[in-house]
Amino acid sequence: MTQPTGVIHDIGYRHYDGVRLTRGYAATALALNSLRGAFGLGRTARSKIIPFLIAGTMLLPAVVSIAVMALLKEQGLPYSGYAVTMQAVLAVFLAAQSPYLVAPDLRFRVLPLYLSRPLKVIDYVGAKFVALVVALFLLLAAPLTLMYIGELLVELDTPVRTSEYLASLGGGVICAVLLAAIGLALASFTPRRGLGVAAVIAFYMFTLAASGVFFGVFESENQQTAAEWSLLGNPFFLVDAVQTNLFGTEPSNGTGYPPGIAPAAITLAVIALALSALYLRYRKAAAA
Amino acid sequence: MNSVVASITYRAMLGRKRVWLLALLPVALIAIAVLLRLIGAGHESTTVTLMETFAIGAILPLLGLIAGTGVIAPEIEDGTIIHLLSKPIPRHRIMVTKFAVAASLMVVFAGVPTFLAGYLMIGTEANVAAGFALGAAIGGIAYAAVFLLVGVLTKHAVVVGIIYALVWEGAIGGYVPGARKLSIQQWARTLADQVTTSPALKPDVALSFALPAIVIVTVVAVIWAGQRLRGLSLTGDE
Repeated sequence: MTQPTGVIHDIGYRHYDGVRLTRGYAATALALNSLRGAFGLGRTARSKIIPFLIAGTMLLPAVVSIAVMALLKEQGLPYSGYAVTMQAVLAVFLAAQSPYLVAPDLRFRVLPLYLSRPLKVIDYVGAKFVALVVALFLLLAAPLTLMYIGELLVELDTPVRTSEYLASLGGGVICAVLLAAIGLALASFTPRRGLGVAAVIAFYMFTLAASGVFFGVFESENQQTAAEWSLLGNPFFLVDAVQTNLFGTEPSNGTGYPPGIAPAAITLAVIALALSALYLRYRKAAAA
Repeated sequence: MNSVVASITYRAMLGRKRVWLLALLPVALIAIAVLLRLIGAGHESTTVTLMETFAIGAILPLLGLIAGTGVIAPEIEDGTIIHLLSKPIPRHRIMVTKFAVAASLMVVFAGVPTFLAGYLMIGTEANVAAGFALGAAIGGIAYAAVFLLVGVLTKHAVVVGIIYALVWEGAIGGYVPGARKLSIQQWARTLADQVTTSPALKPDVALSFALPAIVIVTVVAVIWAGQRLRGLSLTGDE
């Protein structure tokens, strides 16, 4: 007589018969959640302070500009130079929020949990990247749009600067993509949030100061072309150069940029480099 | 001072990824100095520009941020500070030790490279190298003290620190002359001006204000941080 060696009891758990949502759904949910998190929504009140403060600061010049247009009947701030003018604020947002998007998951080693679902590494990285791009774009597009609506309502004697507004939005997309790629790539190399913030801001301040020093030196030696090239070291001027060459807006640095496709090529190369570094980093983290 | 606390802190600072940031920035400063020398821009005014905008203006606050918050903030963030706090060591002594570690790191990673960069550019001419090295070392110690305090006060220490360095000292200080009075960076420039005879450096703050300010800020920050550590409440990560 054979003894039963093992029995699987049905202890009455209900099975899931509902719709199995797709990989795309999971990626979208992750992107949306990350986007909300970048502005502190769905997090503690304390984590809302900094993003809200930054968003408010970004809107401030737009409000002042509308006031100038309405009261003095003069043209307000140029749209095309908004990102360059507010670069410190955007850099602080990038430094403060990009580690939030990547560091906790690395630190608590929960990446395998994400990947046990239909989500692939590329979806995870893509969702985080898209979330940060959208967040940065919103930060830049909101004041521009506010200013544009203001200009439409105030009805100045000068023609409405629609093409400049649209060009600035285009530049804003490029700016958001470049910044998000660099910010995430740098932040993903450490699971510590504080160190990630320091790394991103160190990159920005380094490029800002280095390109400034070289610009000053070449300028004083009357080497105008070299001076213009050295400005491209700063990501914000790089994007402004692309915007100037692509859409024909006024350069915001006062001197002009190297013409042609060189700035655009540099921008694309930097984005590609940063995104591949990010992807390779996560492929390694997912295996560990 | 407590040698065990000091050695643990040194190990945490120099044994991890943090040291890369600490080392890369001064290396970049020296590399730029060499590059400028090679392209034939090695004269007094460019050296002062490099020192002002790069060494004092960018590297110094960054290093202060990394060293100042790095000696204490990660321990608070992951809660291991509780092991340190449960030992019978006065909290003020812990803080003074941590500050001493951060200050020594600032002298090594900010003061010495600043001197080297200046020396590589123009040698000892007009004492530019020595002056900015002094400014960077003292200013760096003050930065370290302030960011140490911020690291104990808030969990978002690095973000608060960069807002101070970038927005207050950089953006607002650039337009509002009055804001320059309350800026460690400007005090460091004033100190540099005491040693160098270069006319290219024009400090905005008088020594009679800068020197007391830098001493008071450093001492108050360390004492306040120690006081704060006595009643530190540990809250979980969000």
